[in-house]
Amino acid sequence: MKHKVKSLFAMILVCAVALCVGMAAAQSYPTKTVRLIIPFPPGGSNDIVGRFIATKLTERLGKQVVVDNRGGAGGVIGTEAAAKSEPDGYTLLIISSAYAINTSLYKLSYDPVKAFAPIAKLGTGPNVLAVYPGVPVNSVKELIALAKEKPGQLNFASAGVGSFQHLGSELFKSLTGADIGIVQFKGGGPAMIDVIGGHTQAALGSLIQFMPHIKSGKVKALGTGGAKRSVSLPDVPTIAEAGVAGYEANNWWGVLAPAGTPRPIIDRLYKEISAILSSPETQKLFGDQGAEVDKMTPAEFGPYIVVETAKWGKVIKEANIKAE
Amino acid sequence: MELFNNLIFGFSVALSLQNLFYCFIGVLVGTLIGVLPGIGPMATIAMLLPLTFNVPPVAAMIMLAGIYYGAMYGGSTTSILVNLPGETASVVTCIDGYQMARQGRAGAALAIAAIGSFFAGTVCTLLIAFFAPPLAEFALKFSSAEYFSLMLMGLVAAAVLAHGNMVKSLAMVVVGLLLGIVGADVNSGIKRFAFGFYELADGIGVVTIAVGVFAVGEILSNLSDPEERQVFTSKVMNLFPTREDLKRSFGPIVRGTGVGAFFGVLPGTTPAIASFSSYMIEKKLGKDPSRFGQGAIEGVAGPESANNADAQCKFIPMLTLGIPASGTMALMLGALMIYGIAPGPQVMTDKPDLFWGLIASMWIGNVMLLVLNLPLIGMWVRLLKLPYRLLFPAIMAFSAIGIYSVNSSSFDIYLMAIFGVLGIVWRMLDCSPVPMMLGFVLGPMVEENLRRALQVSRGDPSVFVTRPISLAFVVATVLILIVMAAPAVRKLWGAAGASSREGVTE
Amino acid sequence: MKIALRNNKDFWAGIMLITTGAVSVLIARGYSFGSTMRMGPGYFPSVLGGILVLFGLYVMIMGLRSGEKITVHCSIRALIVLPLSLLAFGVLMTHAGFIPALAVLIFGSASAGREFKFVEVLLLTLILTGFSVAVFSWGLGLPYPLIKGF
Repeated sequence: MKHKVKSLFAMILVCAVALCVGMAAAQSYPTKTVRLIIPFPPGGSNDIVGRFIATKLTERLGKQVVVDNRGGAGGVIGTEAAAKSEPDGYTLLIISSAYAINTSLYKLSYDPVKAFAPIAKLGTGPNVLAVYPGVPVNSVKELIALAKEKPGQLNFASAGVGSFQHLGSELFKSLTGADIGIVQFKGGGPAMIDVIGGHTQAALGSLIQFMPHIKSGKVKALGTGGAKRSVSLPDVPTIAEAGVAGYEANNWWGVLAPAGTPRPIIDRLYKEISAILSSPETQKLFGDQGAEVDKMTPAEFGPYIVVETAKWGKVIKEANIKAE
Repeated sequence: MELFNNLIFGFSVALSLQNLFYCFIGVLVGTLIGVLPGIGPMATIAMLLPLTFNVPPVAAMIMLAGIYYGAMYGGSTTSILVNLPGETASVVTCIDGYQMARQGRAGAALAIAAIGSFFAGTVCTLLIAFFAPPLAEFALKFSSAEYFSLMLMGLVAAAVLAHGNMVKSLAMVVVGLLLGIVGADVNSGIKRFAFGFYELADGIGVVTIAVGVFAVGEILSNLSDPEERQVFTSKVMNLFPTREDLKRSFGPIVRGTGVGAFFGVLPGTTPAIASFSSYMIEKKLGKDPSRFGQGAIEGVAGPESANNADAQCKFIPMLTLGIPASGTMALMLGALMIYGIAPGPQVMTDKPDLFWGLIASMWIGNVMLLVLNLPLIGMWVRLLKLPYRLLFPAIMAFSAIGIYSVNSSSFDIYLMAIFGVLGIVWRMLDCSPVPMMLGFVLGPMVEENLRRALQVSRGDPSVFVTRPISLAFVVATVLILIVMAAPAVRKLWGAAGASSREGVTE
Repeated sequence: MKIALRNNKDFWAGIMLITTGAVSVLIARGYSFGSTMRMGPGYFPSVLGGILVLFGLYVMIMGLRSGEKITVHCSIRALIVLPLSLLAFGVLMTHAGFIPALAVLIFGSASAGREFKFVEVLLLTLILTGFSVAVFSWGLGLPYPLIKGF
C-alpha cells in the first residue's frame, strides 16, 4: 500500500515536472533550430509551399527553420522519418493529399491517424481538366460524349501510379463511366508536356502547373476540381457544375508534428502559421499559382485528413490500384 | 535588326552592377557545388531560393541560372582529378579525364573542359537568342514513340563503347539496364527489385552508382596494387593544352556542342545522355579508337562541351513555353511564380528585361567561369601532388557527404559501399563499368517510352515507323547496326576460324 | 582443372553474368509478364535476364577456352575496411551526428591504406572534419546535427 502511494506520488511528480517543462518549453520555444521535413525532392509544389512557410516561420520564431528534403516512395520515407522523431516541437512535417492517399496504397510503419498531431492546413490546389486545343470539345459534357463515341481512344496523362492526378482521373472515369485510358508519366511535368504536344488528349492535372498554359492557350481548361470555382479562373466551371455531380479532387498542404508534441507548442505554431496565411503576400503567392489559402485549425485539420483518407481509399479500392 | 537591339538591351540589363554581382555569386557557388559530388544544382537552388525573395526577380534568376550552368562547369573537376563524378553529366568525363590526370595531364584536361564548355555556352546563348521558339516547338513533336526510337539508337550505338571484348561490353549494358529497372514501374506502379526497401522505390541514384563504382572502386583498386607505385605520375606536364591537343579537340567541341544542344532542347532526356552520345560519336569518328579510355583528350573535350550545351539549352523550353525540362528547371519555374511572374511564351514580350537580361547574363557568366576556372587549374593540379595516403580518405569523406546529402539517407551510403565492392570485382573480371552506366542511364527511358507508346497506340507497333521523326531514328539505328556489324562479323568469322584451327593443333 | 578455374577471369565473369541474369528472371516471375504488344512489369526484366544468361554462358565458355587469368589484385584489408567505414558513417549519421560519423569514416578509411601513421592520420581527420563542417554545415547549410543531443 505504502509502495503504491509512493509510486502514485512519483507519477504525479513526473507529470507535474513534465507539464512544467512543457510549459516552459513553449514559453521559450524555440531555443534551437527547427527542422521542417518535406517528404519530396526539391522542385514540386510541396517543396515550394514548405520553403515558403519555413522562411516566414524563421522570421516569426526568431530561430532558423531549416528545410530537410527527404524524398522517396511518394512521401512515405520522409513521413516515416518524421514519425520516428522526438515529439519536442523541433521536427515538423509538410504533408499533402499524398499523405491521405498513401494510407491505402502502402503498408506503412506509422499509424497515419495516431502518429502525428495536426497543426494546420495551409492551402488547397484544385486539379483542372485540361485538353489539347486540337481535341474538338469545349465542355466537360462534350468530352464525355466524345469518349463514349470513341471508347478507349482518348487518353489522360497522369503523373504516376497513385498520384493525386491519377486518382482524380480514376474518380472522373468512375463517376462518368467514360472509357478513357490513363497514361502514366514520371511526374506532373512530363505528363503536362505530352498534353501540350498533343500526344495525349487531356489531363486532370494540377491547376498550379497548367495555369500559365491555360492563359497562353496551349491547353483548354474545361473544368476545375474544387468545390467552388477557382479564384484564378472564375469563368471556368467546376467539374461538378459542368455535369459530373460529386466530383471533387483537390491537392492540399498542411503541417503536422509527431504525436506527443506539447500542446502549447502546437498552439504557438498554429498562431504563427495562421498569421502567415492571413498576410496579403501569402494570399497573392497562392493565388498567382492557381491555389488558395485554406486555413484549418488543428481541431479541424485532423478530421479532414480522415475524410480525405476514406475518400481516396474508396477510389483506390474501386480502381484496384496497387503500388506494392 | 530587332534581335540585335534585343541583345543589346539584354546586355545593358545584365551588365548593371547589381546583376553582374549576382551573376558572379551564382557561377561561384555553382562551381563550388559542381566540384562536390552529390550536392547538385537542384538542392542548392532550393536552399538559396528563400534568400532570393528580397532580390529583384531578374537578378535572382540570373543568379539561379548561374548556379545551374556553373555546376556543370565544376562537375568535371573531380571527375578528372580523382575519378569522382561531381554531377551526373560528368560520369563520362571520368573515363578519359582521369587517365589524363594519371599521366600528368590533368591541367590540359581541365583546361580543355573549360574551353569546350565556354564554346558550348557561347553557341547556346546565340541559339537561345535567335532560335528559341522554333526549337521549342520542334521539341514538342517528340512523343513516347520518338523518345523510344532515339534511345534505341543510343543503345545500339553502345557497342562503340566496347573496349576489348565486345560480348562482355554488351553484357554489361544489360547489367546496367537491369539495374535501371530497380524501383517503381512507371506504368503499373509495382516496385521491382526493391526487396521491400522503400529507399529503392524511386530507383538507385545515378550518382550513387557512379561514385561507388568509379571513385570507391578506384580507391580500392589503388590500395590493392601490390607494386609500390605512384597513382599519379610525378612529372606533371604543362598546365595548358598543347597545339596538338587543341587541334584534336576542335572537332569534338563543335560536335559535342551540337549534340548537347539537340538533347538539351528535348525535355524528356537526362543530362548524362548528351555526354554519353558525344563520347560515342568521338570514339567512332576517332582515327584510333583504342586511344579512348587511355587518356584521349577528345573524350574530355566532346562530352564536356555536350553537357554544358545540354544544360544551357534546357532553358529553351523553359523560357519560351514555360515547360520544365528537368527537375532543376521545374524549381526555376517555381521560383518565377514566387516572384509573381507567370512563366510561358508571354515572358518574352511582357518581361523583356528578364528574358533578354537572362540570356545576356548567361554569356557573361560563361566568361566569368572561364576567367574563374583557368587560374584554378594550377591549384587543382597541385592537389594531386599530395601523397595518395592523404588524398584517398578525403575523397571518401567528400563522396560520403555528397551522397548522403542527396536524400539525407544512410541507405544511399550503404549502396555506395556495395557498388564500390562491385566496382573492384568488375575490374578483376575485366568487365567495364562504362557500358553498364550507359545501360543504366538509358534503360528506364527505353522501357518507359516503349510501353507508353504501345499503350497509346493500343498495341500497334507501326507508330515507330509512321511518325516521321521516329522513322528517321529507326532508319539511323539500322544504318548504325549495319556499319558496326560489318567489321565485327568479319572479325568474328576470322576469330572463329582461328580458334577452330587452334582446337585442331591442341 | 579446378586450380585453373580459380583464377580464370572470363569463367568467373560468366558466372557473375549468369547469376545476375538468373536472379532477375526468378524475381521477375513475380511480376505480370504481359505480351509483347502490351508489356507487363515483368516483361523487360525477364527478357533482359534471359539475354544476360546467354551472354554469361558465352563468356564462360570463352573463358574455359582462353584460360586468361585475373590480373587485377584485390587487397582483402581494403575490401573489408573501406565498406565498413562507410557503413559506420551511415549508422553514425543517424544516431550520433555529423562530426563523429565523419571522423570515424576518415580515420577508418585511412587505416585501409598500406602506410598508416597514427599522428598523421589523426591530424588529417581533424583538419578534414573541421573543413567539412565549415563548408557543408556552415557554408552550404546542410541540416545535419553536428553531434546528436547538442
